[in-house]
Amino acid sequence: VDVQHAKVQFVNAHSSGKVKVTMKKDLNKKKKDHAGIFATATSTPAEVEKLQKSLGQTVSQLTSLSNPERLQEDNGEIESGETQQNIRSYLEACVFAGHIEKAHQMLLSLIVTCSLGANKHSRVNTGIKCKWNLRLMILPCLSFFFLQGALNQIGRVFIMLEDAGLKPNLGSYCYALECMGRNPDCSPKTIIRCLNQMEEDGLSVDDVFSQCSFREDERDMVLKAMHIVEPDYQPRLSMTTDGCSLPLVEDFYKQVLQARFKLHHILQMDLQERFKRQLSIEEASTITIDSVEASKPITKNMARMRQLLADQRAQWQKILLQALRESKMILANTNTKDYRLNLYPYLCLLEDKDYVDIMIQSIANMSPSGESLKVLAKDLGNRVYTKYCVRQKHQNQILEKLGNIYNAYTELLAKDTKEFGLLPREHWCQLEKEQSSGPTLEGGETNWLYSVTLELGTYMVDLMVKSLKISGDILNPAYDKKLIPILYHMYAFRSTRQIGFIKPHPILTQIQQEAMETKLTFDSYVMPMLCPPVPWSSIKFGAYLLTPTKLMRTVEGATQHDTLLEKCQTLHPVLDSLNQLGNCAWKINKPLLDIIISIFNDRGSDKLDIPPPLSEAPKMPHFNPQDPTLTSSEKAHLKREAVNARRKYSEMYSLRMSSLYKLSIANHMRDEIFWFPHSMDFRGRTYPCPPYFNHLGSDVARAILVFAEGKPLGPKGLDWLKIHLVNLTGLKKRESLQGRLEYANTIMEDILDAADNPLNGNKWWMNADEPWQALACCTEIANAVRSPDPTQFISHFPVHQDGSCNGLQHYAALGRDVIGATSVNLMPCEVPQDVYSGVAQQVEEFRARDAASGMKIAQVLEGFISRKVVKQTVMTVVYGVTRYGGRLQIEKRLKEIDEFPKEHVWDASHYLVRLVFSGLKEMFTGTREIQDWLTESARLISKSGHTVEWLTPLGLPVVQPYRRTRHQVVSLILRVLKIIDTVKQKNAFPPNFIHSLDSTHMMLTALHCYSAGLTFVSVHDCFWTHALTVDTMNKVCREQFVNLHSQPILKELSKFLLEKYCDGLTRLRLGYSHHLTVFFSLWDNWTPSL
Amino acid sequence: MSTQICRVVEVLMRSACCQTIRSRSCLHKAVLAPGAVSGLCAPGAPMLHRRAYSLDTLSSGPGRPSPNLQQPSAERTSPSSSLTHRNLSAVAVQGQRRPLCRYDFLDVGEVEENIRRAHACKKLRHFIVDPDLAKLVAQHLEPEDAKTVILECEPGPGVLTRTLLNAGAQRVVALVGDGAFLKDLQELENRLDGQLEVVHCDFFKLDPMGTGILKAPTMYSDKLFNDLGISEASWTDDIQVKVVGILPHSEERSKMLKMVYALFERLSVYRYGRVELNLFISEKEYLKLAARPGDMMNYRAYGVLWQMACDIELLHKEPWDSFVLSRKCTRRVKPSNLCLVRLRPRADLFSGGLTPSNAPTLMMMVKQLLAKRKAKLIDRLNLWCPDSGSKLISEMGMQEDILIGHVYPEEYLRLFQLMDKSQEFTQSWLYEEILENTQRDGWA
Repeated sequence: VDVQHAKVQFVNAHSSGKVKVTMKKDLNKKKKDHAGIFATATSTPAEVEKLQKSLGQTVSQLTSLSNPERLQEDNGEIESGETQQNIRSYLEACVFAGHIEKAHQMLLSLIVTCSLGANKHSRVNTGIKCKWNLRLMILPCLSFFFLQGALNQIGRVFIMLEDAGLKPNLGSYCYALECMGRNPDCSPKTIIRCLNQMEEDGLSVDDVFSQCSFREDERDMVLKAMHIVEPDYQPRLSMTTDGCSLPLVEDFYKQVLQARFKLHHILQMDLQERFKRQLSIEEASTITIDSVEASKPITKNMARMRQLLADQRAQWQKILLQALRESKMILANTNTKDYRLNLYPYLCLLEDKDYVDIMIQSIANMSPSGESLKVLAKDLGNRVYTKYCVRQKHQNQILEKLGNIYNAYTELLAKDTKEFGLLPREHWCQLEKEQSSGPTLEGGETNWLYSVTLELGTYMVDLMVKSLKISGDILNPAYDKKLIPILYHMYAFRSTRQIGFIKPHPILTQIQQEAMETKLTFDSYVMPMLCPPVPWSSIKFGAYLLTPTKLMRTVEGATQHDTLLEKCQTLHPVLDSLNQLGNCAWKINKPLLDIIISIFNDRGSDKLDIPPPLSEAPKMPHFNPQDPTLTSSEKAHLKREAVNARRKYSEMYSLRMSSLYKLSIANHMRDEIFWFPHSMDFRGRTYPCPPYFNHLGSDVARAILVFAEGKPLGPKGLDWLKIHLVNLTGLKKRESLQGRLEYANTIMEDILDAADNPLNGNKWWMNADEPWQALACCTEIANAVRSPDPTQFISHFPVHQDGSCNGLQHYAALGRDVIGATSVNLMPCEVPQDVYSGVAQQVEEFRARDAASGMKIAQVLEGFISRKVVKQTVMTVVYGVTRYGGRLQIEKRLKEIDEFPKEHVWDASHYLVRLVFSGLKEMFTGTREIQDWLTESARLISKSGHTVEWLTPLGLPVVQPYRRTRHQVVSLILRVLKIIDTVKQKNAFPPNFIHSLDSTHMMLTALHCYSAGLTFVSVHDCFWTHALTVDTMNKVCREQFVNLHSQPILKELSKFLLEKYCDGLTRLRLGYSHHLTVFFSLWDNWTPSL
Repeated sequence: MSTQICRVVEVLMRSACCQTIRSRSCLHKAVLAPGAVSGLCAPGAPMLHRRAYSLDTLSSGPGRPSPNLQQPSAERTSPSSSLTHRNLSAVAVQGQRRPLCRYDFLDVGEVEENIRRAHACKKLRHFIVDPDLAKLVAQHLEPEDAKTVILECEPGPGVLTRTLLNAGAQRVVALVGDGAFLKDLQELENRLDGQLEVVHCDFFKLDPMGTGILKAPTMYSDKLFNDLGISEASWTDDIQVKVVGILPHSEERSKMLKMVYALFERLSVYRYGRVELNLFISEKEYLKLAARPGDMMNYRAYGVLWQMACDIELLHKEPWDSFVLSRKCTRRVKPSNLCLVRLRPRADLFSGGLTPSNAPTLMMMVKQLLAKRKAKLIDRLNLWCPDSGSKLISEMGMQEDILIGHVYPEEYLRLFQLMDKSQEFTQSWLYEEILENTQRDGWA
């Protein structure tokens, strides 16, 4: 590996490269002259600090100055946006690491380029580039003049701005004012002149305070300047309009004043204590916990291996430190004259030791079958970034303020404080406003570009591959005592592509596995939080205390979501619902966790979804291709077996490890109360941030989580528990709720048996669909029944309510489709309808008809068509599954049926998928129509060169990120174009749209459950609450579904699309625009009638 | 000698008159009119040389032995009556089957008609309909050699098939993948005296990876070869099977990779000895296939493996539009040439220590090395087995700092043979790697 090579692989790395190259050429000619002009900039030690300050300022304002006005629609803009981001993060890094000289050089080189670029470049996109280059130019001049303390130069700078045809923006004025404030003998006249000009430009000082972000004492300096001219000036901060004007949630925001939300079990002191613990974990960036395997006895071999590993690790640490220092030295020296962005400043952000620790950590977590270079590099880069962010916050002196605000914020949540009648976000914002002096919490730091992260990561991987060695005779003295590298860079081949892979040497793997280390080291954000998460108050700030978190998860390198969100004014309901999901406190179901760990540490169980240890793996057959006694077919057979065994082994390994992580985290948290901060994907579906252990996980993870808060069962709670249990077993899907309850009552004995003797009883629960959750439920029921008064029994157990098939429900509601609506439980009905059974029935009818007419495959299928066979396909059809995918699903189901003749699987699956599709079409008439309309719209939009965008009814802007990259060599420089992926845009639109409705419904339900005082969490379309409040939640859920669909959703969509894509006709090809108008207005005259 | 000259002339003429099908077709009508056989000596027309040539070679060998039909399999699953008949007659009149003579010359049909029929194919394929092109291809196959069986992949309207038979081929097997052409060719099969066999089989889909029941045209090669009565042969035996066809354009690379993997492991068709491929591939692909060391862009593992295993000969280049595309192509096909390439496996491939069972390691080695052609060979070798690189390289007689992209395919083979002998390397993880990074991942 080397960084050079990585560049070719990494898609984005070159977008900036192009600029750089052209830049460099011009520079060589002109450098000398310009260097002369700016030579005085070299600083005396006394000035360094000042310079550093002003540069920091400069950098922080580059964003505001250089933000592209319009949305990034075409390549050029995205590219230039990325280049800006790249330069900004580079400058920030330089300043942070104290390389003022480097940052300055960089800025100077930019001036040179843009002054040349204005008239010399003739390439495509230069227009755009010149524009931002000019904007950039202003700032270095500013910093330069302020450095000299020559305030009279300010006027000149602003004249320069004018010359360039640009207006200074808020950031520039803010910067100017701060400098005036810092300068003790600044005349009031200057300040007044400045303020006057601001007024001319239509900007007010209040805006400076409400919109710019400050560090350290910057804010106070601006205020000081203001006080010179206006001694009693106080920034008037307009309360941002809190009420939300969206018709869907208008009522909610009116009511909210009466709503209250308390964690009924925690005192304020306690919360503040928790905050401190969480803060210290995040400050450390990593956390080391005991593995659940630690309880195993230590064998002699294990002890030896652990010792070996510890020795080696100490050695590696030394070697890496050495190598890193040497390599940095080289980088520092070779790049002094080079104006290109380089990695050096990024390598100076942390202590050398920190980089080494990050690298060592990645070795410990490496899978024996290796890791793709890209993934590994990304992980490493991200770790550095996270740590850097935390340190940045330190440096900006944010911690103290954060602590103050958080402590005040806990008043809202703790049980022993007064009521506020505010949402967490509102409360937080208010507190922030009250304590406005000092740095702003929401830093103005730039995210690193994906390519930067990768490049840095690759650099570190390269370092490891090159320098880490182990002695060949470490395990077996018979081998040579040569130093062998422990990591290899090699290639895996997928179809016709090659993928860079990093693999550990088998010796390393062997040592690691035999040592079975008892400690696991994780990044701090992997753990659930110990205190309630910081409420999302803007798109940049929320969730963890220090660790940077993105509100919206996106595909790597996509920037358009952020731009869109930043512009969006109506995000409050979305943020509030995320905050509510994050505010749910959890704890561990300890007895169940102990049972699971005991099985895990014993031999595991595939049936119960507990991966067995690797010692249970099938024996690796020894295979010697040279063995002359074997015939070629025997060899081929042996080889195939060896390949299969290896595949199985690595599969088992990854399952086992992910389970180990999950259980170890759970075990670490066993006596804690904890929280899962939430974020969302680009369609608005919500996810908890901690990746391994959360309530979205498998049956096991769900079973060991219970609400930290307990509520009495109430009159109907026990019944709900029983119904929930029957649901978990997967039996009685077609029974009414009453029927399920009766069934539960008939198996009470089994339930008690499971609770009392989970592993030694009759073990019926092991056959349930979700065995562990069923077992947990059995225990809860047993405890409740045995308590003196079950209605008073305090239950922490979450009861789930399934949206029976949300995608189809939304289509049925959108299309006002009565039969469809009945079968998905939208219409009131005695027995819960089950759409899957309905479709199965329909398919069976078709089949019987075909069989009667003599079709062979239809006859073969007799008696095999069941709910289970069609379920997955029906479920996914609304999410855009194609016939191809549907056939694969059905094929899988048919293969599971032992009696089904295997030779017919292919034919039968083909035949069945056809029937399922036509069955659905018959049942859901409107669905197909809407789906077709959506698909066709998306096709037209993407054909005209746009990505498909829409607003959910809750005001969340959604944009489909699908683009393809295409490499193109333009005059010897590799260009990466990102072309809109028409096929994907088109196919994904209907399912994504439905997903976005789905998430809207969930958020609405969350908000209203909040105001009703319920505990509520969601796993996409499955909602959880206490047994006591199930009925209320169901009511809210239903109401909000009606509420949502009473909105003219399709009409609004049509309107939005028409406005967005048909107005700028010049950008569309005319042929399309006509179609578009016709298409989009199709739903214009639609009226709700549910 | 005379044939040599003829060939040179013919190639010259051909390149001189590379025109569109339409313009040539008028010409060919004249030639193929019933009386035209006797009018062959009309001077000046380019075909005439060729015709003379082919007639010449035809008449020179009347009493050749019949094709070897060793062990005709007893279990034919689809015994068409004509097949049985042919087998019987082949046994009965052994040695007496004569090649088609000028009196029962097969009519290759009208070009327009053939084009129309080619359009019936549902998959995107190229077909030969131009009789002149067919003749040229036929000549390169040396059809008069009675010891070889010619497998023709996807004959389409059957122009090349008929041309091959006309040129004296004793045994042509038409592997028809698309059902649309099956009937027509089977009719022809019935009319003939065993020179043609038609099998519903797609050559490029032989030996699929998955499991399950196979439906024609997909089948396993052992069934195909059994049915045809072709037995396994030793690698050094003479070539007994020649394959001719046009590689499906969309999956050229993956098919070629699959075949070269099979070749090294002597699986699939290569169990039956050195099968010679005569394939039309796109020019771009040919450049990759035949790239030489130093060409860092094109010289890749793919080309190295093929060059190591086969003698590669470019027989002919033909512009794209001389072929007929089965249906309207939705994507614009870039105008380019198709190259007729002969891939004849080297008889000495397995004589220096390479065996089908260690060949996967060789392939893995080549693929891993060639992934980074500008690296130094010695560095990579040292990675695999510390400190042994310089020893190996000096044994190879190469310079210390030679780059991977500058080493010849033959040298890689020798390098592997040296490595395979050294204890150090066989302990290296490279030897395990073939189990994890299987070739199965190498093609789609």
